[in-house]
Amino acid sequence: MKRGTCFILKPTIRPVKDVMTSPFLVQIKLCDSNLPLAQIAATDPKVSVTLERWYRAPGVTWIQVQEGHLRGALFLPPGEGRFPGVIDLFADIGGLIEYRASLLASHGFAALALAYCDYEDLPLHPEKIELEYFEEAVNFLLRHPKVLGPGIGIVSISKGAEIGLSMAIHLKQVIATVLINGPNFVFSTPQVYRGQIVTRSKASETFFLPIEKAQGHFLFIVGEDDKSINSKAYAEQATEQLRRNGKDNWTLLSYPGAGHMLEPPYSPLCCASKLSKLHLFMQWGGEVTRHAAAQEHSWKEIQKFLRKHLIPQFSGGRKLPK
Amino acid sequence: MFQLTATPARALADEPVHIRVTGLPPLQIVTLTASLKDEKGYVYQSKAFYKANEVGELDLMEAASIGGDYVGVHPMGLFWSLKPEKVFRRLTKQDVMNSPFYVTLNLYDSVYVQVSTTDQPRASQTVERWFSGPGVQRVQIREGRVRGALFLPPGEGPFPGIVDLFGGRGGLVEFRASLLATHGFAVLALAYFLYEDLPKELEEIDLEYFEEAANWLLAHPKIQKPGIGVISVSKGVEIALAMACFLKQVVATICINGSNAIYELPLRYKDLVITPIPSFMERMQIDVLGAVRLRHYKGDARDELNQKSVLPIEKAQGAILFIVGDGDECLNSREYAEQALDQLRSHGRNNGRMLVYPGAGHLIEPPYTPLCYASPHRLSSRILLWGGDPVAHAAAQEHSWGEIQKFFREHLTQTRSKL
Repeated sequence: MKRGTCFILKPTIRPVKDVMTSPFLVQIKLCDSNLPLAQIAATDPKVSVTLERWYRAPGVTWIQVQEGHLRGALFLPPGEGRFPGVIDLFADIGGLIEYRASLLASHGFAALALAYCDYEDLPLHPEKIELEYFEEAVNFLLRHPKVLGPGIGIVSISKGAEIGLSMAIHLKQVIATVLINGPNFVFSTPQVYRGQIVTRSKASETFFLPIEKAQGHFLFIVGEDDKSINSKAYAEQATEQLRRNGKDNWTLLSYPGAGHMLEPPYSPLCCASKLSKLHLFMQWGGEVTRHAAAQEHSWKEIQKFLRKHLIPQFSGGRKLPK
Repeated sequence: MFQLTATPARALADEPVHIRVTGLPPLQIVTLTASLKDEKGYVYQSKAFYKANEVGELDLMEAASIGGDYVGVHPMGLFWSLKPEKVFRRLTKQDVMNSPFYVTLNLYDSVYVQVSTTDQPRASQTVERWFSGPGVQRVQIREGRVRGALFLPPGEGPFPGIVDLFGGRGGLVEFRASLLATHGFAVLALAYFLYEDLPKELEEIDLEYFEEAANWLLAHPKIQKPGIGVISVSKGVEIALAMACFLKQVVATICINGSNAIYELPLRYKDLVITPIPSFMERMQIDVLGAVRLRHYKGDARDELNQKSVLPIEKAQGAILFIVGDGDECLNSREYAEQALDQLRSHGRNNGRMLVYPGAGHLIEPPYTPLCYASPHRLSSRILLWGGDPVAHAAAQEHSWGEIQKFFREHLTQTRSKL
């Protein structure tokens, strides 16, 4: 399957990979440039090579997760050791998206791709997001014999980042949270934790989530050309709130020209796609070249951030606060 | 009771429509939609969200759209922001004489992000958009080699004559000619390939074909002497400029987004052959949606080596008006127009003028034509990018249409005659 061509011909489809069993096959052809444009696709190239683009490294294992209420997949790096644990949350398009978790596992993290709607027996359109479900996921991960404790990380994007932020605030085992193009308040679906609706901060009269209560570290990743939400403004508001409360536990990476769909490097820019739930094409934004550069840079930064805060020797020992 | 009025309900496609709503709850936010089905059955739609005033009225001449296909005060926004359900289709009226486009305007009493087939509008009106006025005549032309359609205004005439040339899409495109005829010009919509017994592929520009057409038009009893005009767009501009250079009977030429030099195919006129400037396929670009931007792929008309391909515009005796969309993604139209004007100036001529429209794209058409930003092209399996920002492009179409008619009236109408 030619992913690049697929994207160009059908810009409305976002390619999602079956990560364990097959790579994307990308064929690169060298053609005679004297050919008219219309004939190039149909003509045999002078030489061609097919590249395999895998979403998992050799030895990465996949374990289906169906414990308690949890639905997802755990990706473990090869080898004996314990690995820093990460929960991977996508937006609420439903299903289980695994490719980022499998890539993280290929880079040494025990990554739990966690579904929360429209997957197996999970509700199609949850009326509320119950944080207890995500707490269960955190505890599951920390209990696993191959997961290094005492805390875990989160990589989250869009609506997933809304949840990731709440998890960081309410669950002290969450010590490193990556928030990609997410809001700093609860948007559309209400969140509930221990019977209480997660909205207003007690300290202020705003609707913004009380991010200053979180004990872990944050990495905000913003695509400045995000056309679906005002990511830059929300991240700036959130970091301002932290600053006002005397906290310096955050880093903000803001990428001019990058859009909403910041993914692992070399993923083609999806600047718009169809949301079947809304029967609409949504614009995500992003300028091709700058978005690509942002994906490359941010992916490295995400891994650096997670290693720094989840692996003790990287930060000189990090103890879980009591 | 909600009332939606759109006046005039029956009008020329280049005339504005005044849309008003009354009977709304005060300050109610409503949805206005427009839809039309073209002659092939493709549906085009647009929508905008407006807030009624304190007395429950809405006047699109004054109210600003809050969201939808356009924002701000745009009385004709629902028309020029119409978008095809099947992406990248270009809206063009085929039968310009016997039927209009029917545009249905619907009012919904709240915000409808998506209108489903079961949603009922609270008020509705259909307006007719005609491409020819009462009394305009269409005559199919098959004279000698000439193939096209002549549109004559009502009355005895004589009328100022214009040849109307479209570009690389081929065939016969009539809607601009029929509209101009409704405004008092006798217009020959001229095909030059991919029509009737004309060649299927354009392999060279044979200027003698166009000379034959010009002479035929001028000889017509209802056409004013001694000179005619030419209006052209895209590839048609090379032909129109060549006509202006070599045919004395051409006294007024309008060039919309084209080049002042010969590209891709040679131009031949009697003993003269102008060879094309080469293009560089390797410079083509693919934009984020997968559409091809050709703006950079033509060779440089200012390069010394290419001067033999540049049309000798200083030979043109009539007036020339360049209409340029600065957001043209297919051609560097501004560059070509500026070079042509420089060439005129360097020969001490001042018969050229340029109108540059920032934000307008390649396909500048009569007003209220929806922006076609990209569409399939017969020469490529890909979509070609034309460019244009919707609001700026709509404004350019409105303004340039007035300028086009003014230009032809100024340079074609004999001072002593009445139209």
